[in-house]
Amino acid sequence: MPETIAPAGLTRRNFLWLGWSALVGFLTSGAAAAARFFFPNVIYEPSQKFNAGPAQDYPMGVSTKWLNEQRVWIIRTEKGFYTVWARCTHLGCTPNWFADQNRFRCPCHGSNFSSDGDVIAGPAPKPLYRCAVEIASTGDLIIDKAVIEGRSGFRDKTPFFANFKATV
Amino acid sequence: MPGLNLEQIKKSIIDSQIWRSMFRGGVWKDNPRDRAAHIIGNIWLHLHPVKVRKRAIEWTYTWGLGGISFMLFLILTVTGVLLMFYYRPTIDLAYQDMKDLEFAVTLGKLMRNAHRWAAQAMVVFVILHMVRVFVTGAYKKPREFNWGIGVLLLTFTLFLSFTGYLLPWDQLAIWAVTVGTNMAGATPFLGNEGPFGSLMGMRINNDVRFTLLGGTTVGENTLLRFYVLHCVAVPLLVGILLIVHFWRIRKDSFSAAPRDPNEEKVEVWPNLIVREYIAAAGTVLVILLWSWLVNAPLEVVANPNVTPNPSKAPWYFVGLQELLVYFDPWIAGVLIPNIIIVGLMAIPYLDQSPGGTGYYSFKERPFANTLFLLGIALWFILIAIGYYCRGPNYQWYWPWESWLVEKAPPAPTWSLPLWAGTLLILAYFGIGLVAPKLIQREIEWKRAFIWCGAGITLLSLGCVFLGGVAWGRLPWLYFFGFAYFLFGFLMPQRHIRNLSWTRYIVTMSLVLMMMGVLLKMGLRLGFDIKYIFTLPQFSLNI
Repeated sequence: MPETIAPAGLTRRNFLWLGWSALVGFLTSGAAAAARFFFPNVIYEPSQKFNAGPAQDYPMGVSTKWLNEQRVWIIRTEKGFYTVWARCTHLGCTPNWFADQNRFRCPCHGSNFSSDGDVIAGPAPKPLYRCAVEIASTGDLIIDKAVIEGRSGFRDKTPFFANFKATV
Repeated sequence: MPGLNLEQIKKSIIDSQIWRSMFRGGVWKDNPRDRAAHIIGNIWLHLHPVKVRKRAIEWTYTWGLGGISFMLFLILTVTGVLLMFYYRPTIDLAYQDMKDLEFAVTLGKLMRNAHRWAAQAMVVFVILHMVRVFVTGAYKKPREFNWGIGVLLLTFTLFLSFTGYLLPWDQLAIWAVTVGTNMAGATPFLGNEGPFGSLMGMRINNDVRFTLLGGTTVGENTLLRFYVLHCVAVPLLVGILLIVHFWRIRKDSFSAAPRDPNEEKVEVWPNLIVREYIAAAGTVLVILLWSWLVNAPLEVVANPNVTPNPSKAPWYFVGLQELLVYFDPWIAGVLIPNIIIVGLMAIPYLDQSPGGTGYYSFKERPFANTLFLLGIALWFILIAIGYYCRGPNYQWYWPWESWLVEKAPPAPTWSLPLWAGTLLILAYFGIGLVAPKLIQREIEWKRAFIWCGAGITLLSLGCVFLGGVAWGRLPWLYFFGFAYFLFGFLMPQRHIRNLSWTRYIVTMSLVLMMMGVLLKMGLRLGFDIKYIFTLPQFSLNI
């Protein structure tokens, strides 16, 4: 008896719908899985935190001492320290510091920033980021480039500014 | 030597079972049947038809540009495979291997030079091929789809160049790719620095830039990814697209559409095949000579912390680099390139006029040819500015000015207030879009220019006396004002006002956007305007 062999409801039309849907579902999830494949789960990159040496050794103003190795400028003011991450907020090149002009200037698209990191000219959309900075009990500057802040008001407070008075 | 009969030896070789099994067809009698059989029976030649319209293979019609592009692709494949034998894609070894190729590997320098110069030549020839196809109207029905494939091939040619130049791991490599991938990071929704990126939960370690880099900075994973893309993935894709491209050319009986149905046809063997061989041989010769005379550049080893000053992309991307000076990264780096690609692909569906198809004619295609060539020219003007007029700190230095003389830093830039910017953009696109179609009467050239001149003069005087603009900046106003008036208003008014509304709006939007880029450049260079319209919350900075 044929009626008992084919389950009721699964018509030829529905079977085809099911088949095609399954194929589309398989291809879609396959594409999604392939996309996920390109996101590595483990990356081997250096730590973003480093010791920049004794705070008292830094002169007033912008220091380029760590630019080549850690890509930050360390800026000492009367009140203390802040660090500017040397990554242009436009497209990520490293600007250069021009002490005579009191500007950071980017070599890739010509953005200009003040020593505070604010945009003066060029295409950069945002101020330069500052990194978290603290003075360890040893008197060393500890800088963490994984913690960054660009908004004025926030960037002038802990942990992006470390109070420091010179001990004569 | 009495026993040595060359003719006899040749005959016995050709008549041998081995030769006959490889090359079928019996004795070559050079009759039409033989010449046809040679095309049909040969795997390498059988993509050709047996006969082709005479006009389609004239040097002065095709200039061999498509064929030369393909030959360059083959040269790149061969030299690329050879280079792979001596190149290891890791950041400790890549640069060292480049030096070895240059100084320690026999012919290594020549192969690298040939690879570099053929790549640059391919960019040039693919663009020239596109220009040729455009000005002969060869993209029109029924060839619209193949034009689209061609645009994709141009895009992939540029992408191959982009992935290729990370591999030497020198300063050009790392900074060009840093900038390029940061543009990806500015993609709307998908990039961590793009508009709505944070809304979608994008961070530095889960966005589209992260997948491109395989990390958060250009590093080991990036080099490997770009190596695989450059050597395997993209060439495969290009190969597939080339097959479709060639197949369609064959199916559409080549580019020169028949001017009358019974046009004269000639045999492909030898007429076309000989031309192909000459073009291919010439290409190889020029590339070899060039590679023998000029060495491919190699900068110092990559330093991920310090950027060379100035830092410039390879010449074919310097135009894009210059564009990035004027707009927000996602607009200049993502939106505009995508509009260019999609806009190019849309052209055959916008331009449905039957005239000027299959031959050079500026008279029958004044609007299409002028605006297209203007676009190409703009792209190369951007390249010229970036390449010749930018010095240290990417500041404007004329080509005759020494880079050693330090210039005063650029003046601070300013943006229009939101209300003014909104009004200006709305007026530009609103009036600019509708006005040319609504004015139904043809405007007389002379009178139009007098009115335009008077308008700009009035605007200039307003700027000087009300806005405090210096007299010396007025030439900018005149140049950009006239350019817009001619290409953005007069020509469309004259030539496309009778298009259907849909086609007209799309075409006109593309024209206005192109002229808008030019106008914005003028406002930045001449008047220090950073953005006309700015909504920083959405990175909508124009």
